[in-house]
Amino acid sequence: MTSGSFGRNILLLMIAGFAALLVTGATAIWLVRKTAADTELVVHSQTVQNLIQRIFSLAQDGETGQRGYLLTGDAAYLGPYERATAGMPEALQSLQRMTADNPAQQARISDLTSAVQDKLAELGQTISIYRSGRQAEAFAAVRSGQGREAMARVRAAVGELSRAESELLGRRSADSAATVSWLLGVSLAALLLIAGVAAGSLLVVRRYTSELHRAQAELAQANTGLEEVVAARTAELVRANEEVQRFAYIVSHDLRSPLVNIMGFTSELDASRQAIARQFERLAETAPGLVGEEAKLAVEEDLPEAIGFIRASTTKMDRLINAILKLSRDGRRTPTPERIAVGDMVAAIAATLQQQTSAAGAEIEIGALPALVSDRLALEQIFSNLIENAVKYLDASRPGRIAVRGRAAGPRIVYEIADNGRGIDPKDHERIFELFRRSGAQDRPGEGLGLSFVRNSVRRLGGTITVASAPGRGSTFTLDFPRVLQRSNESLAA
Amino acid sequence: MTTQQPVLIVMVEDDDGHARLIEKNIRRAGVNNEIRHFPDGTSALAFLFGPQVRAGMPILVLLDLNLPDMTGTDILAQLKADEHTRRAPVIVLTTTDDKVEIQRCYDLGCNVYITKPVDYDAFATAIRQLGLFLTVMQVPSA
Repeated sequence: MTSGSFGRNILLLMIAGFAALLVTGATAIWLVRKTAADTELVVHSQTVQNLIQRIFSLAQDGETGQRGYLLTGDAAYLGPYERATAGMPEALQSLQRMTADNPAQQARISDLTSAVQDKLAELGQTISIYRSGRQAEAFAAVRSGQGREAMARVRAAVGELSRAESELLGRRSADSAATVSWLLGVSLAALLLIAGVAAGSLLVVRRYTSELHRAQAELAQANTGLEEVVAARTAELVRANEEVQRFAYIVSHDLRSPLVNIMGFTSELDASRQAIARQFERLAETAPGLVGEEAKLAVEEDLPEAIGFIRASTTKMDRLINAILKLSRDGRRTPTPERIAVGDMVAAIAATLQQQTSAAGAEIEIGALPALVSDRLALEQIFSNLIENAVKYLDASRPGRIAVRGRAAGPRIVYEIADNGRGIDPKDHERIFELFRRSGAQDRPGEGLGLSFVRNSVRRLGGTITVASAPGRGSTFTLDFPRVLQRSNESLAA
Repeated sequence: MTTQQPVLIVMVEDDDGHARLIEKNIRRAGVNNEIRHFPDGTSALAFLFGPQVRAGMPILVLLDLNLPDMTGTDILAQLKADEHTRRAPVIVLTTTDDKVEIQRCYDLGCNVYITKPVDYDAFATAIRQLGLFLTVMQVPSA
C-alpha cells in the first residue's frame, strides 16, 4: 500500500463514518420527534377516553340524583343531578373539540349528545313534575321507560365512542412502539456501521503500519549495506590516493635524477665551450685566417643559445617537479586539528602583505571571522595564498578593496575572500584550480600552483572552495569548512 | 687524507652521469685518491665484504639511496653491522630530502647526509666542499 492509497482509504472510511453518523443523527431526531408526537396522540386518546367516561358518569349521577329525590322527596338528593346538568355541556363541548379531527367520532358524539340531552330533559321533566306535587304522574313518567331508553342510548353511544377511541389508542400505541423499535433499530444499525468503519480504519492503519515497519526495516538494511559499501569504497579511495601520492613522490624523485645530469653536463658543456671560445680568441689574435666564420658563430652564438634554452627548460622542469613533490608531501602530512582564531591569523597574514598592499594602494578589510578547529599550517597556507592572489591581481584602474568575511552556517563555517580586482573569465573558474594552469593576462610571476595547492589543502580539511567572478568586476572565493575537523577524517581526506 | 695507506673512495651510484659529475668535482677539490664506482648494491656489497677490505684497506663510502637492486639504507645497515666496516665513514649522497629518510640514515650510523642539489652550481659547490672536507678528515683503517 502506498501512502497515497492509504490516505485515500482513510479518507473514504472517515467520510463513510461521518455520513453514517449524520444519517443516524437525523434519523434519531426524526424518530424521537415522531415518538413524542405518537406519545402525545396516545395521551390525547386517553384524555378523550377519560372525557367519555366522565360524560357517562355525569349522566349516571343525574339519574342517581333524580331517583334519590323521587324516592325521598328530599331536595338534598338533587345535588348530583344539579352538578351533572351544570358540568355536562362543558364536558360535551370538550369532547367535541378534542375529536374535531375525527369525523366518525364526531358523528357518534352528536348521537351521544342527543341521547344525553334526551336523558337530561327526561330527568328535568320528572323532577319538575314531582316538585309540582304530582308524584304519581312523575312515577308514571319514569315507569314509561322513556328515561331508561334514553340512558340505554347514552350507554350505547358511550360504549361505541369508547371502543372506537380504544381502537385508536391501540393503533397509536402500536405506532409509538413501532417508532421506538425503529429508533432502536436505526441506532443499532448506526452503531454497527460506526463499529465497522472503526474496525476498517484500524485494519487499514494496522496494515499500513506493518508495511511501514517492513519498509523501514528494508531501508535500515539498505542503509547498513550502503554504509558498508561506502566504507569499502572509501578504503579503496584511500588506498588509491595513497598510491597516487607515493607514485607522485617516486616519479618526482626519479625525474630529478636525470635532471641533475642534464643540468650538470650542460654546465660542463658550457665550461668546455668557454674554453674553446677563449682558444678561438687567442687564435683570432695570432692567426686570424684560421678562424672559420661558421665555427666562430657556433661557439659564440649558437652554443650559448642552445645551452640557455636547455637551462631554462630544466629550471622550469625542476620547479614543476618541486610543485608535484610539495603536493604529494602535503597530501602525506597528517592534519592536526587545533582551535584557530581565524581573525588573528588573517590579521597576521594581512600584516605580512602590508608592503605589497600599500604599494598597490589597496586596503584589506577584515570582518568578523568565526574560529574553528582545523589544521593551522594548512589553513594559513590557504588564506595567505588567496589573500596574496587578491593583492597580486588587483585592477590598476581603481583603488583595491579586499574583504575577508566569515559566518557560521550550522556545523560548518563559511569564509569569503572578496576583491574588486581584475576578475576571472567564467570559462576559467574550474581551470584556475588545476595544476600549472593560469588565467587572464600573464603579467604577474607565477607557476599556476597556488590555487591548486589551496584546493588540495581545502579538501584535506574536509572543506570546499568555489569562486564567483566576472572579468573587470572582481572575484570572491568562498571557503566552506567543518566547524570541527575530525581526526578520523584525516585518512579519508588525505 | 693523512693515513699510512691511501684511502679508497667507494662510490655506490646507479646513475653514471651523477657518478661522473661527482668524480669531476671531487677531483677539482684536489682529492686524488682512487675512486671505485659501483652502479648497483650487489656489486658494491661484494667488494665491501671482499678480501681487499678485509685485509685492512681504509675506505670511505659515498652512498646513493636509490639503487636498482636494493636501497642504500640496506647497504648502510649491513656496513654498520659488520665488524670490519662499521668504522668506515659513510657519506649519503642522494636526491631525497625527505626528513624521515634523513633521520633513518643517521639512526643507522651514517656520518654525513648530503642532498644532491639539482642546480648544478650548487651541486658542484657541495661536492667540492665535500672534497675539501675529505682532504682533512681522518679515516680509520678497517
